[in-house]
Amino acid sequence: MISPQTLILVLFALSAGLILLLVLRPELTSNRNGKILAFVALFALPILCSFLGTSQQMERSKQTTFCLSCHIMEPYGRSLHVDDPHYIPAAHFQNHRIPTEEACYTCHEDYVLYGGIRAKWRGLHHVYVQYLGTPMNPIHLYVPYNNRECLHCHLGARSFEESPTHTALHDDLVSNQMSCLTSGCHDTVHNVAGLDKVKLWNPGGR
Amino acid sequence: MTVHNPIERRLRLAGVFVLLGLLVEVAALRWVQPVAFLVFAFVGIPIASLGIVIYLYSLVSLRR
Repeated sequence: MISPQTLILVLFALSAGLILLLVLRPELTSNRNGKILAFVALFALPILCSFLGTSQQMERSKQTTFCLSCHIMEPYGRSLHVDDPHYIPAAHFQNHRIPTEEACYTCHEDYVLYGGIRAKWRGLHHVYVQYLGTPMNPIHLYVPYNNRECLHCHLGARSFEESPTHTALHDDLVSNQMSCLTSGCHDTVHNVAGLDKVKLWNPGGR
Repeated sequence: MTVHNPIERRLRLAGVFVLLGLLVEVAALRWVQPVAFLVFAFVGIPIASLGIVIYLYSLVSLRR
């Protein structure tokens, strides 16, 4: 089975080969077949390649390694390895409650219509601030974390629905009147300021 | 290799730009980093687009 990555590379190579042929022998375009070749090589294939490449870049921008490649995010990456189940991101990451290769995106996407586009737009803003502006110190969310992002997975799950606390506060949690994170229940999140004082989980260590 | 026909010259120029743009795009696909995304979106695509525009212009100018 050909991977999307390989398919894109094959298309890029095909496109480059045809363009090179036209650059070296532009007289080929003097007949009808040559004109069709030029249309494919200089218009159709480059647009297809750019479209597929953009799609690939968009998918890659969801990856944990993409987010953590910025220096400022390094402690947040480390917080995923804290050896303490009270750390919400660490517990989710280490127990694969979220896809580990898309950990940041899974929890920080808005689960609404066009939420993915909004997340990408915020990502572009992060990149702008990182390279051309002054990043916040310490960094924080633009808006308070919405319960909707937690409930996207937890709502309807047995462990959530059978909890007496969750049942009692169900409506307040769903309407975001009471925050899952800041109301005192699950308030240990990345907590990067205290990372030096906690033990980190070493998956390879025995 | 000498090209005298102006349309062929434009096609060659378009080919060079599209090729250059595609090379930048494929190079940017090798890294999973925000910089690679920026290079892809703001360098590769504009260069390839410029080549496509030159190609389309060469088609329009063909009628003269």
